[in-house]
Amino acid sequence: MAQETIASPDLKFVNDVIKGGGESLKKCYQCATCSVVCNLTPDSTPFPRKEMLYAQWGLKDKLFPNPDIWLCHQCSDCTAYCPRGAKPGEVLNAVRKMSIEHYSVPSFLGRAVGSRQYLVLLLAIPAAIFLIILASLGHLSNVPRTGGGQISYHEFLPSLYIDSVFVPVALFAVICLAIGVSRYWKDMVRASGLRPSQGGIANLISATIYEILSHKRFEKCNVTKERKISHFLVFYSFIGLAITTAWAVAYLYGPSIMKFLGLKPFSWMLGPSPYPLTDPLKWLANASALALLTGITLVVVYRYRNKEKSGLGGYYDWLFILVVYSIAATGILAELFRLADIAILAYPVYFIHLVVVFFLFAYAPFSKMAHMVYRATAMVFAKHIQREP
Amino acid sequence: MEKKYGVYICKGCGIAGAIDIEKLAKAAKSGAIKEENIKTHDIMCSPGGIQMVKDDMKGGVNTIIIAACSPRVKYEEFDFPGAVTERVNIREFVAWTQPPMTDETQSVAEDYVIMGIAKAQRAELPEPAVLENLSRDILVIGGGITGMTAALDAAKAGYKVILVEKELQLGGFANKLYKKIPTRDFKEPLIVDTEVEKIIKEVESNPNIKVYKSSKVEKTKGQPGLYEVTISTNGSSETVKIGAIVLAAGWIPYDASKLGYLGYGVSKNVVTNIEFEELAKKGKGKIFRPSDGKEAKKVAFIQCAGQRNPDYLPYCSSMCCATSLKQARYVRQNADALAMIFYIDIRTPGRLESFYREAQNDPGIMLTKADVTGVSDAGNGNLFVEMENSLLGEKAKVEADLVVLATGMVPATRAPQEYLDGLTQAATKGDDAKKAYIESTPKPEFILNLDYRQGPEIPSLEGAYGFADSNFICFQYETRRTGVYAAGCVRQPMNMTEAQEDAAGAAFKAIQCIDHVARGVAVHPRAWDLTFPDPQLIRCTACKRCTEECPFGAIEEDEKGIPTYMLSRCRRCGTCMGACPERIVSFKDYSVDIIGSMIKSVDVPEEEFRIIALVCENDAYPALDTLALHRKSIDPSIRFIPLRCLGGMNLVWIADAFSKGIDGFLLLGCKFGENYQCHFIKGSELANYRFSKVGETLDRLQLESERVTMMQVAIDEYHKLPEMINQFVERVKEIGHNPFKEF
Amino acid sequence: MAENKKVLVIGGGMSGLTAAIEVAEAGYEAYIVERNPYLGGRVAQVNKYFWKLCPPNCGLEIQFKRLKNNPLIKFYTLAEVEEIKGEEGNFDINIRLNPRYVNDKCVGCDACAQACPSYRDNTFNFGLNKTKAAYLPAPQAFPFQYVIDEKACSKDCMKPCFDACKYDAIDLNMKPESVKLNVGAVVLATGWDPYDMTKLDILGSGKIKNAVSNMMMERLAAPDGPTQGKIVRPSDGKEVKNIAFVQCAGSRDENHLPYCSYICCLASLKHALYVREQYADSKVQIFYIDIRTPGLYEHRFYWKVKEDPNVTLTKGKVAQITEDPGTKDVTVVVEDVYGGSKTKATFDMVVLATGMDPTTKTSKVGTNIPYTPDGLVDDAALKKGIYAVGTLKSPADVARSVQDATGIAIKCIQSLNRR
Repeated sequence: MAQETIASPDLKFVNDVIKGGGESLKKCYQCATCSVVCNLTPDSTPFPRKEMLYAQWGLKDKLFPNPDIWLCHQCSDCTAYCPRGAKPGEVLNAVRKMSIEHYSVPSFLGRAVGSRQYLVLLLAIPAAIFLIILASLGHLSNVPRTGGGQISYHEFLPSLYIDSVFVPVALFAVICLAIGVSRYWKDMVRASGLRPSQGGIANLISATIYEILSHKRFEKCNVTKERKISHFLVFYSFIGLAITTAWAVAYLYGPSIMKFLGLKPFSWMLGPSPYPLTDPLKWLANASALALLTGITLVVVYRYRNKEKSGLGGYYDWLFILVVYSIAATGILAELFRLADIAILAYPVYFIHLVVVFFLFAYAPFSKMAHMVYRATAMVFAKHIQREP
Repeated sequence: MEKKYGVYICKGCGIAGAIDIEKLAKAAKSGAIKEENIKTHDIMCSPGGIQMVKDDMKGGVNTIIIAACSPRVKYEEFDFPGAVTERVNIREFVAWTQPPMTDETQSVAEDYVIMGIAKAQRAELPEPAVLENLSRDILVIGGGITGMTAALDAAKAGYKVILVEKELQLGGFANKLYKKIPTRDFKEPLIVDTEVEKIIKEVESNPNIKVYKSSKVEKTKGQPGLYEVTISTNGSSETVKIGAIVLAAGWIPYDASKLGYLGYGVSKNVVTNIEFEELAKKGKGKIFRPSDGKEAKKVAFIQCAGQRNPDYLPYCSSMCCATSLKQARYVRQNADALAMIFYIDIRTPGRLESFYREAQNDPGIMLTKADVTGVSDAGNGNLFVEMENSLLGEKAKVEADLVVLATGMVPATRAPQEYLDGLTQAATKGDDAKKAYIESTPKPEFILNLDYRQGPEIPSLEGAYGFADSNFICFQYETRRTGVYAAGCVRQPMNMTEAQEDAAGAAFKAIQCIDHVARGVAVHPRAWDLTFPDPQLIRCTACKRCTEECPFGAIEEDEKGIPTYMLSRCRRCGTCMGACPERIVSFKDYSVDIIGSMIKSVDVPEEEFRIIALVCENDAYPALDTLALHRKSIDPSIRFIPLRCLGGMNLVWIADAFSKGIDGFLLLGCKFGENYQCHFIKGSELANYRFSKVGETLDRLQLESERVTMMQVAIDEYHKLPEMINQFVERVKEIGHNPFKEF
Repeated sequence: MAENKKVLVIGGGMSGLTAAIEVAEAGYEAYIVERNPYLGGRVAQVNKYFWKLCPPNCGLEIQFKRLKNNPLIKFYTLAEVEEIKGEEGNFDINIRLNPRYVNDKCVGCDACAQACPSYRDNTFNFGLNKTKAAYLPAPQAFPFQYVIDEKACSKDCMKPCFDACKYDAIDLNMKPESVKLNVGAVVLATGWDPYDMTKLDILGSGKIKNAVSNMMMERLAAPDGPTQGKIVRPSDGKEVKNIAFVQCAGSRDENHLPYCSYICCLASLKHALYVREQYADSKVQIFYIDIRTPGLYEHRFYWKVKEDPNVTLTKGKVAQITEDPGTKDVTVVVEDVYGGSKTKATFDMVVLATGMDPTTKTSKVGTNIPYTPDGLVDDAALKKGIYAVGTLKSPADVARSVQDATGIAIKCIQSLNRR
């Protein structure tokens, strides 16, 4: 005999799902069309039908510690065919957001990133930090230029300062994320009744990574097939930019480190920026920037194109989209203004660029950015419990 | 009136190709029918043919025999007002089902024509029996939504209405409701005022409607158009003349005290859906639970409580799902309260699906499919609803601070029907058993109190659990008591809107009945029939068979047991005619003598087999026509004779037939038993029962009982008919010739 | 103006017949306008009624008998109402009579059909077989009169039909006629069309031969149907031993029909009985969201089917149907909500329980029809003196349609007696 569930309905949770972009939640009448048209769900206890019911009753204990909400990629095939106009994709998206809030620490940041009214505050923090630094350097009034007299962001705000801000921020982000994800994992283990110590997941991780890199899952979507392209571009441009950053770090600190080691620096280590457009680093940087811009633009275009079938998405999604958008935009503009030598525009734009980049990194564990980690974790766990091949 | 005959034989549709028309014409000749009275035509239904007949009518012909196609076709052409017209079906029964130009085929045709003539010789034109000083007023029993709607509709159609309500005020259950479901567009807030007060005012202010409150019908005497209804109002009683009756006595809630396993009677905080309405009404929308007056914040609705379950109510009351969704909206008038609905299936058919969709679209209304197994105490007045196979889990329980049981409706007619059925049961065991039953069983309140020999209420219907429903899908108002039309939840479980539609229908049938009675015409299904049973009571032996067997209780009897025919209760099926051993019941065009003489006029050659088949006019006869249309062949030894209903089958015909040398006797009637299809309730069943008695007749004649048989055949089973018939013919042939042929 | 005692009834199905006959039996004149060449509507196509499993023709026979015996009723077949003008108590009606090419001298001898060289899809059987272009429109057709399908029968095909008729019942020069009436009240009883299967893309778009509609199933089971009542599958005439029923095929679905079509659960349960009675070793599976057998249907009918061990009821909506190109077997995909898994199952034949679409959308009624948001006729918004009946307002079974039609009869005489 199956053990008895004591279900305690949670009206507040239901309301939160609705506020969080799941307006259509209450339309579902459990016909199970969604589970059938979904190409991503496993055949046994498929999603999203059961998730819709749990969400309607506010049974978060059945929703959060469950990889399924992340196995859903919001193809929206379910939404297109739902006979009641419910949008399971959006509902699960709202639940995913709440799940990130639920697991991430510190939780107040989770709530803050999730809700409009804190946006200004969240932006104010990096803005303040950078303003203080600039003020202390006196660069708010007069900005030094390079020997050649060009605009130089390195002169404007030396990398050392930037890094001394971003390195701790990145660390903070990584730690928060690590804690959140491990809580998530533990919870899934508890819920699925697995013993915690079960090794041999290394190969599962690599399999998952391959799955992510290849974007295989997106191909299974029908209604929103094209999402593969946009996500692909955004995803790989981020990787490109990550490499660029590492590369730049090598340029910047390479010489001094080698000197310190008593070696002769390589000739290709150009030292501080700016770098000539002929330099391969620039090629990669600009290529990635453009890819990012295109990718994120497509994201917006597709969302509008499919808004009937899959909905536009809520604040949480759009916040992330806008951040990425402004990173790409300000990045490219900053470069252009620099080359065009329009100081009056170049510096402010660069400043904004720094702020949004900070925003992206610092809040990653709580923003939609975190989805890549949580989803990856869920995918690994699903394989771990043989829910997924 | 002296009869002047015209026999008209059609040659069209292959008749002339199958039958020797001249020979047929000769055969038609007899004492009464002169040669010049017999005419033929290539296409009798053509203008020429019709004209020929009409000219003869000018010449005085008043009795017309048309030997052509089935009476079911060309009915407009062969309509000769003022003349007795007999249609002889030699197209379907001969030309299309017999091999052409054989002696046998010829004899089939000749028999049919002679049988037709025999009938025409005895049939007369009907004159309607119009009763005197009839009432056109309508009695409506029950002042709920159904009764009030029926009263208003009848009044608006120009009829006077008397409305009898047992309670102090009109309104019925609608009075108890806090709000109702919108009838048209399902827009927020989805719960609207019942407006019952408005309807009550409209009824009470309508000059055509007289309302009797705190009243009941003490006695209903007489017949449609001539009812004398005694209405008693606390003590005093008054008798009114009534034309027809609408029975809208409504329903009572199922006795929830039988639902202990769902906590009813155990916890104060388990209430029925009706009690919940009263709570909501009392709290003006706020729900304060009975145990401690605390406002209920977590209300559980258990659907099908004691319904869809053989141990309680087997049926579905069909209104509970929408009702619980509505009541969930009551709960949700408090933004932080929630309502949980546990259902087996959500049943919101038709347009109500949109109500379901809208009502559900509320964060605080949670639904799950579940088989609720019980309700248990969760402390401080709260309760656990325990369930299996729920969408929440195979086995689950949920805490609630108030539980509402969606209990069902029991028709007001159920108690009387059960009592009376019990009484009939007991009576079969003898008078002592009957007496014992009467003493031991509490007598429920009757509703109609009909002063009928066959009992005071509408007879029960198998499988209807006391609902005064029609047995016929096509005819929802085909009542078992002429002039009494049930409407609303006394007829079937239904919601308010459906009940109002139903009320209109029943009111209309009452009006129609009054109109037909005034014209001396039968009511449905023979709504055109001007004939009526006209018994020669001098020869009556008071055997009471007719009074017992009349399917509609149309025959009363005096103290000497002599029947009195209540013509406006009568549906003209002729069951009394079949029941009467003295053969004294006759209609102008339908009598024991007429059918008997048709049988006797069949020619019985020694070497041939002859079988008589009496067939139901409504099902078997059309089936034979269709069979002919498909040109399937029928054994030539059979002669078909249509009856209004097999209930009219009189055993004397069998005796006549066999003593004349007929070899076999076949009845083709409709399905009987549960789900019977006979529109005269038990015609074929009665015929079958009489057949079981035919044994002694046959024994007296020393004949084998297999020579007679009855078959149940539906109108669409024509493809099976030849097989069925031929089997019987073969059987008879095995038995051999009827020894009486020699004499 | 003299008191107008006439009622126009548009639609000659069970609802229309009932409304017309009832008012006529109350002493008012009634006119029936029917678009088909025969009366009886959907009911005439139904093999047996739930729950009694009695033949609809029995009820129709009585209706026709009442009609034949009542001089106050007049009916037009192959007719449509072009225009309704005026107001309650005084409507001017313009009716178009389409040519039948066969007049009422027809005796139903079948000679024309035998002589006719060309064929047409048998619409009465939903195209499951063919008839001659000169044909009897229904097996038990009333009126019992043939008709010629001009689209299927070019003039050189009409000639042999004409020559074959001994009763000069065929009139090749028939032209559309128009009839004008003045009536006091109008009843819309045009009934319903089965929902168009081609719109159900995930359910095969009506292209899968062995995925038939529930109305087709009625014809397949009918003794006078295309298979003489033998339930076999259209692709190859194979006996149907393993069959599935897909409930809510288009109904309760905002992408198609938002409302519940009421009859489909009962119809599928009935069809299950058809199959079970015909093949002792047959297996039936019904996929549903909710089983809707309200009122007395529950124990009188639902239980009877449920108790059969060879009938399985599975909660879960079928949302994918595919055909095996070789065997023509049909595979459905569904989430068995209790079994807790997404399963594929293959059947000889699948029946889509398609719903009711108001016929006012496809046939002329001569007046503007207001609709509710969910696409049903909004009777309350109709012009005074015009009434909608039966399935137009909300899907219903025969019993409720008849009940409603009788109720509408009193509204009509109220209209006629007002003022």
